[in-house]
Amino acid sequence: MKPTRTFRWIALGLLGLYVLIPVAASLQFSLEAGYKGRLSLTAYSQALAEAGLGTSLLTSVKVAAGAAAITLALLVPTVIFVNLRFPRWRAVLDAVSLLPLGVPAVVIVLGVLGAYRSLPSIITGTPVILALVYVILAMPYSYRAIDASVRAIDMHTLVDAGRSMGAGWGKLFSRVLLPSLRSGILAAAFLTVALSLGEYAIASIMGFNTFPVWLVGVEGNNPYVAVALSISALAFTWILLVALALAGSGRRRRSRGFGAGLVGPEGEDEITPSLAPEEEAVA
Amino acid sequence: MSGVPATRVNNAGRAARRGRRPWALIGVVPFFAYVIIFLVVPAAAVMVEAFRANDGSISLTNLATVLSSKQPWLHSYAISLELSAISAVIAAVLGLVGTVALVSSPSRVVRRLVTTGCGVLANTGGVPLAFAFIATIGNAGVVTHLLADIGFDPYDHGFSLYSFAGLVIVYLYFLLPLVILLMLPPVEALRHEWREAAATLGASSRSYWQKVGFPVLTPPFIATLMVLFMDAFAAYATAQALTTGSVPLVPIEIGSLLAGNVVTNQANLGDALGLGMIVIVGAAGALYVFVQRKTARWLR
Repeated sequence: MKPTRTFRWIALGLLGLYVLIPVAASLQFSLEAGYKGRLSLTAYSQALAEAGLGTSLLTSVKVAAGAAAITLALLVPTVIFVNLRFPRWRAVLDAVSLLPLGVPAVVIVLGVLGAYRSLPSIITGTPVILALVYVILAMPYSYRAIDASVRAIDMHTLVDAGRSMGAGWGKLFSRVLLPSLRSGILAAAFLTVALSLGEYAIASIMGFNTFPVWLVGVEGNNPYVAVALSISALAFTWILLVALALAGSGRRRRSRGFGAGLVGPEGEDEITPSLAPEEEAVA
Repeated sequence: MSGVPATRVNNAGRAARRGRRPWALIGVVPFFAYVIIFLVVPAAAVMVEAFRANDGSISLTNLATVLSSKQPWLHSYAISLELSAISAVIAAVLGLVGTVALVSSPSRVVRRLVTTGCGVLANTGGVPLAFAFIATIGNAGVVTHLLADIGFDPYDHGFSLYSFAGLVIVYLYFLLPLVILLMLPPVEALRHEWREAAATLGASSRSYWQKVGFPVLTPPFIATLMVLFMDAFAAYATAQALTTGSVPLVPIEIGSLLAGNVVTNQANLGDALGLGMIVIVGAAGALYVFVQRKTARWLR
């Protein structure tokens, strides 16, 4: 059964339409803003003037930046350390980093609210808690991205070379390791930021007014503005992720780390932020 | 990856020497501490609290309430399970067709485009996606109007985006790309030589699929189903933004309990509902790991 040309184009064409129609319809919906056949940017300018846009966006950006910073501070040293000193522990860390996939976001909120009710409100009462929790939610993807870039370089040789030339650990870290892991570090940061900017469940249940939470409130008053903002948000995330994918394929020859955990056009990388690597952990 | 054998031996030796200093493991302490504080403790807290009555004593009252047929909770689980199972199966079947079509395409550009697009779309979801669908086939959506203009208003024929069927349609948007990403490696690995070998031995196309194709693709297909199921089962944002709770999914119910929108005299009822979610997702995850181990053997 070799699929025929017709079958192939019909199947791919229908999938393509399914992806594109909501995007096109959202554009038309927001540009017409209720006046059929007359396009204008009214909904978009109204969106910019909407009360609360600035504050909610700022909250989301701060949380995303915080989550990315914590992710890198926590994972980069850990992955380097484990690869250098305890390669046998790699499988354990790999498996642990996948654990968040088994715990739904709603359950994490339940647990955080239940277990840390007594903590000072500076942590649980402010969006800081969101950044702390998003690090966990993004870990299956961010860990994979960093780990792939660490495995792609011959770290032992780099470290030995650096040491033999008299570099201390600080210099080694900042001048040798971080630059050669740049791709994986960027990928981890991008994925964490994309996830943090879009997360709704935890933020809304805990009552923080992040961008998605605010957006849901807007929809009730002005659906055109809400759709204009939604399509902008989708476009922003897509550009972020496509940039990540393209940068990845550009440097794949030299280092196969970049964009790992996102796309693998050749089918040889870890294709999705998926569970694919788990088999390594188990094997 | 070049010169692997020599380096490996070398590294292993070095690692073994260094590994003898157990205090050096202190380097992994921050990582484990973080995971324990923000994942293990919360998850454990849910599991423990589920067994606590209001006065703090150990009891099964919360679970009894969840499992009672007089309460709405069992119904929520049924709806959640049904929604995730149906979305997963539809996505897996359509996605597999798409994957086979993609793999047969000789154009590298098309394949690059689709895989990159899938990587991006699988990460899409949440509130903006729900609103994009409202603009498309909501009751005032662009496509709804188009259909109404040609005399077929779906809302006159029992369809509603703000319902179970609507949720399936929206979920497919991020589940389908995920299927293509997950099924592409195994479908590609269906080696050309196997088909030739089968043909040489006199197998018809049908018996090739019966004896080789389907058995080889079944484990990764089941693994994919499990991933989709877990993804759909835990999804919250899309359902909340689209139906504002009119489809009583378990995560949504937990959210309303936590937000105090639903009054109950049992403080830890939400934890009992959460425990049920952990059990269901855990079972799907265990099946995934089990099947994945079998796949790993021949996919290399």
